Amino acid sequence: MSWTGLTVVGDRLYVADLEQVRALNPSDSSPVWSYPSDPQQDRRGVFYVTPAVDEKRVIVASQVPPAGFLGQPKNVVWALDRDTGRELWRFDGATGQYVEGGALSSGTFVIGNSNGKVYALDAEGGTLRWVFETGHRVWATPLIVADTVYVGSMDRHFYALNLSDGKVRWDFKSEGAFASTPALRNETLYIGAFDDRLYALDARTGTERWRFAGENWFWGSPAVYSDTVYAADVNGNVYAVNAETGAQVWHAALEAPVRAGPALSEDGSRLFIGSQNGTLYALDTADGFVLWSSASEKQVQVLSTPAVSGTVVYETLLYGPYRIQALYVDNGRQVWAYPPVVEGQ
Amino acid sequence: MDFLAYPLANVLLLLYNFLGHSTVLAIAVLTLLINLLTLPLTLSQQRSARKMQEFQPELEKLQKKYAKDKERLAQEQMKLYKAAGINPMGGCLPLLIQLPIWFGLIGAIRYCIPSTPLELFQFSHHIYKWLPGVLGLVPLQSTFLGMDLGQPPSAAQWWSYLLPVLVFVTTWLQQKLLTPPTGVDRQSQTAMMNQQMQIMMPLMFMFFTLNYATGLSIYFVLSSVIRIAQYYLIDTRGSRKVGDKAQMQLKPPKD
Repeated sequence: MSWTGLTVVGDRLYVADLEQVRALNPSDSSPVWSYPSDPQQDRRGVFYVTPAVDEKRVIVASQVPPAGFLGQPKNVVWALDRDTGRELWRFDGATGQYVEGGALSSGTFVIGNSNGKVYALDAEGGTLRWVFETGHRVWATPLIVADTVYVGSMDRHFYALNLSDGKVRWDFKSEGAFASTPALRNETLYIGAFDDRLYALDARTGTERWRFAGENWFWGSPAVYSDTVYAADVNGNVYAVNAETGAQVWHAALEAPVRAGPALSEDGSRLFIGSQNGTLYALDTADGFVLWSSASEKQVQVLSTPAVSGTVVYETLLYGPYRIQALYVDNGRQVWAYPPVVEGQ
Repeated sequence: MDFLAYPLANVLLLLYNFLGHSTVLAIAVLTLLINLLTLPLTLSQQRSARKMQEFQPELEKLQKKYAKDKERLAQEQMKLYKAAGINPMGGCLPLLIQLPIWFGLIGAIRYCIPSTPLELFQFSHHIYKWLPGVLGLVPLQSTFLGMDLGQPPSAAQWWSYLLPVLVFVTTWLQQKLLTPPTGVDRQSQTAMMNQQMQIMMPLMFMFFTLNYATGLSIYFVLSSVIRIAQYYLIDTRGSRKVGDKAQMQLKPPKD
């Protein structure tokens, strides 16, 4: 089990929604396409990871449950046509589960796997370009910048790899596992680890610039705006840290477990962060004051980073009547919820 | 069973830290500690089982004698148990008490070498940070002889299926030693039940370990080996003495 994720690209919202991948209209949640169109007949497994999208395609991964008592689950990467949802190719060469999505850039799709390997696939045809093996599970979405892949592993190393051949440029060792995507600003990478620290690393050399201590693990990816880094630890402490020095600007305690990193509004004035208690919080980036919060039913959990597009913030929810919710950035009022509640039910 | 899984997981972290970051060694020492803690229970279970076997001929005589009077049979059996100092639940109770420990340990392995992120997220709030050296230890190193200790056996590492087989063999051996043949009537209901249990229990454990993290198989194999060793080192002489004493004290039931 993992969590579902979504992304908004252009005029479409793409979501890995358990038994299907969906493209929705972000304004009203009307479906554009679903893959597979009939999941009862055409089983493609369970889709959890946040889709990666480029001009032509949407790439996701799923775990197909084992058939029979001694059967093995299959872990498959699927490339779908961005406009129609038609299957373009699939890759089933990895033995472990895909926990987070991959990164797509310059015709290459890079994804980490629970078997400790990082796979680079040709985005056009799905052929394997290279494999890089780490010492533990890779549960982080890589970041591709120009010709470099940045990826963290549970082996406590954070790697910079050549996009072309997967060779290591540098690696940074910490005292805790890495399970998130770094944020990049001005040649500096910001990444949290399971040793309760947030690190700032030189993107060219991997040299540590500063470290910031939180109260518990940093699992979600940090967000950067202007000269401030925003990150949350799993205890629900949200920190604003000076990007240059690592000094704390403010701290807000949400008093609810937080798995995912925050998302910023387009103007950088608001920070959105989901929690395990099902609440989405909107914080003022100036001082960490909670501007509004949107609570869900008791058992609902928000474990993925929300996506912001214009005046609306989108979140995926686990264990609730809705699996996706759109809220106004300004006041948290609901725009729509998916699947829509049918009258009389 | 999280109330047991969390403390056990933290003990596993502590052992891992002190044992050179070896997950297998940490599981092995935790197994030893659990077996030491449950030693009084397992000894009581072993002695109870042996006593029951020693008094099997008497029980069978009673069964034949009161075949048509179940109420009387039950009364006479209770008399026999009382005279011999046997607790008829003595074999089951320790086993029942050990069940939560097994489930706790399954949880501990699942939290320390998680196969899904939700388990890991849950455990992130239950690490005892005051323990020395546990910061940043989770998840523990999961590879042992090319197998993933946090995952069930898989075809990709075919040799990982050897562990459930080993679980079967060691559990069978343990069962065989702890329930010796009655030697009186091999066709009796009890003897047949014992024979079935000798196969059923190991089979159950084997199927169980086929579906759980391979780290758990290591616990089962080592536990069985420890109990077999315990049988040879402690229980054989001890239980015989107890059995002989009880035999001497036993007065045959009168009609």
